[in-house]
Amino acid sequence: MDKKLFLIDAYAIIYRAYYAFIRAPRINSKGLNTSAIYGFVNTLEDVLKREKPTHIAVAFDPSGPTFRHEAYDLYKAQRESTPEDIKLAVPYIKKIIQAYNIPILEVAGYEADDVIGTVSKMAEKEGFTVFMLTPDKDYGQLVSDNIYMYRPKHTGGFEVMGPAEIKAKYDLDSHEQVIDLLGLMGDSADNIPGCPGVGEKTAVKLLKEYGSIDTLLTRTSELKGALKEKVENNKEQIVFSRFLATIKIDVPIEFNEKALEIEPVNDAELKALFDELEFRTMTQNKFGAKPFTSLPPDEATNAIQFARPKSPAGQMSLFDAFDKPEEKIIARQAPKAIQVLEPVAENELLTLKNVSYNYQLVDTKVKRADLISKLFMQKSVCFDTETTGVDVFTAEMVGLSFCFVKGEAYYVTLPNERVEALEVLKEFKAFFQSEHIEKVGQNIKFDLLMLSMYGIELKGKLFDTMIAHYLVQPKSWLVEKEKIRWIFVLSIWICFANMLPKMPILPFS
Amino acid sequence: MDLLCKYAAEDADITFQLKQILEGELKENGLENLFYEIEMPLLRVLSIMERNGVRIDSEALRQSSEILTAELLVIEKEIHDLVGFSFNVSSPAQVGEILFDRLKLDDKAKKTKTGQYSTSEDILEKIRSKHPIIGKILDFRGLKKLLSTYIDALPLLINQRTGKVHTSFNQTVAATGRLSSTNPNLQNIPIRDAQGKEIRKAFIPDDGCVFLSADYSQIELRIMAHLSGDKNMLDAFNSGLDIHTATAAKIYKIPVEEVTSDMRRKAKTANFGIIYGISTFGLSERLTIPRAEAKELIDGYFATYPDVKRYMDECIQRAKENGYVETIFGRKRFLSDINSQNSVVRGFAERNAINAPIQGSAADIIKIAMVNIQKRLFAENLQTKMTMQVHDELNFTVPEVEIEQARKVVVEEMENVLKLKVPLIADCGVGKNWLEAH
Repeated sequence: MDKKLFLIDAYAIIYRAYYAFIRAPRINSKGLNTSAIYGFVNTLEDVLKREKPTHIAVAFDPSGPTFRHEAYDLYKAQRESTPEDIKLAVPYIKKIIQAYNIPILEVAGYEADDVIGTVSKMAEKEGFTVFMLTPDKDYGQLVSDNIYMYRPKHTGGFEVMGPAEIKAKYDLDSHEQVIDLLGLMGDSADNIPGCPGVGEKTAVKLLKEYGSIDTLLTRTSELKGALKEKVENNKEQIVFSRFLATIKIDVPIEFNEKALEIEPVNDAELKALFDELEFRTMTQNKFGAKPFTSLPPDEATNAIQFARPKSPAGQMSLFDAFDKPEEKIIARQAPKAIQVLEPVAENELLTLKNVSYNYQLVDTKVKRADLISKLFMQKSVCFDTETTGVDVFTAEMVGLSFCFVKGEAYYVTLPNERVEALEVLKEFKAFFQSEHIEKVGQNIKFDLLMLSMYGIELKGKLFDTMIAHYLVQPKSWLVEKEKIRWIFVLSIWICFANMLPKMPILPFS
Repeated sequence: MDLLCKYAAEDADITFQLKQILEGELKENGLENLFYEIEMPLLRVLSIMERNGVRIDSEALRQSSEILTAELLVIEKEIHDLVGFSFNVSSPAQVGEILFDRLKLDDKAKKTKTGQYSTSEDILEKIRSKHPIIGKILDFRGLKKLLSTYIDALPLLINQRTGKVHTSFNQTVAATGRLSSTNPNLQNIPIRDAQGKEIRKAFIPDDGCVFLSADYSQIELRIMAHLSGDKNMLDAFNSGLDIHTATAAKIYKIPVEEVTSDMRRKAKTANFGIIYGISTFGLSERLTIPRAEAKELIDGYFATYPDVKRYMDECIQRAKENGYVETIFGRKRFLSDINSQNSVVRGFAERNAINAPIQGSAADIIKIAMVNIQKRLFAENLQTKMTMQVHDELNFTVPEVEIEQARKVVVEEMENVLKLKVPLIADCGVGKNWLEAH
């Protein structure tokens, strides 16, 4: 079998992924921005599936200075610092790569492109076809008949570039001229300043004429006007830029073919990481298993509908784990919540067992009368309507729940016949129309409309927890509070997940 | 115990417990007024609007659909004639093959993940001049989108029981504090072009009523003038002149009468660009002018309105100190990236720091107007119904006998939400449908 080596420029892919999500970053329930991690894993998976490499490695820039820093202080000075979110993401990405059993290449004093350059050239000698996975232009100088750039495209997919493609893309005579090209035009992605005022077009024109920076600089007298001035005034910066653009191919490392061989993934480790990061869809794609395997897929879909009308911020996103198409519905309902709160890991479910509660079924007139007398003694009551659908014009109410003391709640069942249901609801009418009792609910507009369909006007002060949550912004919440909330949200989930198979008609809300 | 009971009871229990936490959070963050006086009363108003619904002229849409579908077929035939045989114009794969394999319109054509040629709008726009077929394909797609998302889709949203379309308004989606809506998404309906007009024409009043539409004039710029307190900008608004013309006159230091339409256009782009924290580069792209000229324009702008610049800097400063910015009514936008060491990340947060107080205040203002208008409609026992809110605009169905009274109520309540350093102006129109009223 042909030996096919993939070398991944980690930071280039990480930055690219991070910025791709910058307008709507993926943030999990712990507040970690997972855009970069998610994007990196996606790219890695994509390549593994698409190309089935026989050998692979990921190269990282070392944390300390490199020979480029040492050579020029200026290089360090103008380097933009790494976004904080990326700094936090990198340790996770390294752990993930380890779980994939892929070697990490990191050499003190050298950047990832030098390491990849060196390894590429060594591998070529050993009969490999090498693909360098990176969007960065400077890698163009390294290509050969056996070494290719494998560039992710903005439109999705990848572009494979050898010497011919590089020459064509930049209109150069040889792919090695990429160094001189970048030396002149600079490359903001790589912190190469280039010659001020010289863009790609001018740089290409100059190289067509003079072939290289060296020749150009000895013949600047032939240039005219502003260009002459620019080049002559920036000789030092041009040489410096060329130095920065030149990738080293003699980094002191050994080529260990065996170590680069593709190996099976450590599933348990990877799954644990995905769980920690709350990559539900990815877990499903990679491992197939749904987080709650007791649910057949159909019920899972219904479960999503079931939760749709209400959606406490996090409750919705719990179902993120299921079928991809449903995400659209979820996103429409509570995209904000999705951004900040993703499902918690399975292992946190255990904490549920510690929650104590006293819930009562209210299914007789006597019990209702007892409940109503209690309701009238409250200043504030939380309630919720259970219905058969999300469209208030067609949905039927099947029940009502109430709570006014922590851990104590009541569920009132309503008869199937609308006429009878109206009779029962009448008993509660005075409570709902009381101006003195505050009514609390999650997305209470739905309940308000639902009650109005049964001729009941909801009066009194309102408190919608969904809107309050939106105003205070979850990010400002203390972690502790988030945790409490999750315990409850999950307990709901477990309850109705258990209930579903027994329910012929699904109640909504 | 019945599991449904357990689930439902637990839901109430959780919501109850959450409320105890949130109540404190609202207080700590100074959000009680916004919550109890604006958002909660608005919730009731929105429920009334949702129940009211809006009437759609499905017959007119059916006619439009017929005409546009016929037009679609004509374009399709023209496309087939240009190629010499028929193919499925709705299939991007087939379009890609025709354009790039057969007609060879671009030898560097890009392929997507799935191995097809990409025929997205921006790619086709770039090669538009190469062949008349491109323009036709774009027309075909535009028309098809209009048909599928609005003309043919709107009648499907009509509720069988009420005969109306009941949009859902959402108070918790937009980060800025604005409302959003679904089924249909009113915020998305094209505004200016002929296609948008077709759609607006189909929104009609109830029988015996007219369609009344009122919108705030330049509310975001007025808020910026107010928040920055810039004397020149306040003058420009208070003079009653067109703000963009006045701005142009000041930037170019010429009398108002000498402002050309090009100068006005540039001033207008600068005015709106500034609200969104536009850069020199962004402005030059938008106006397709050289960067040097864009820089001059921005410099001229800030020289004209120095306190606007100061205000922008203060917004960023405040965000850096507090981690958030606020609207006039205390709505917060948290900007955790504002102190990022990375300039791109920081840049996003900085633009939001400038924009959020302006856009958010505009959202607060129209929300208060809605609450007050509904109060007065009840108090004055009017049959006028509020039906839609779209950005800075409110729409009503008004019985003909109430037109003058409704107009007065709506305009007064919109303009008197609060006293800014510049007047709040609401323009109001009536007509047989949304298009005529707007």
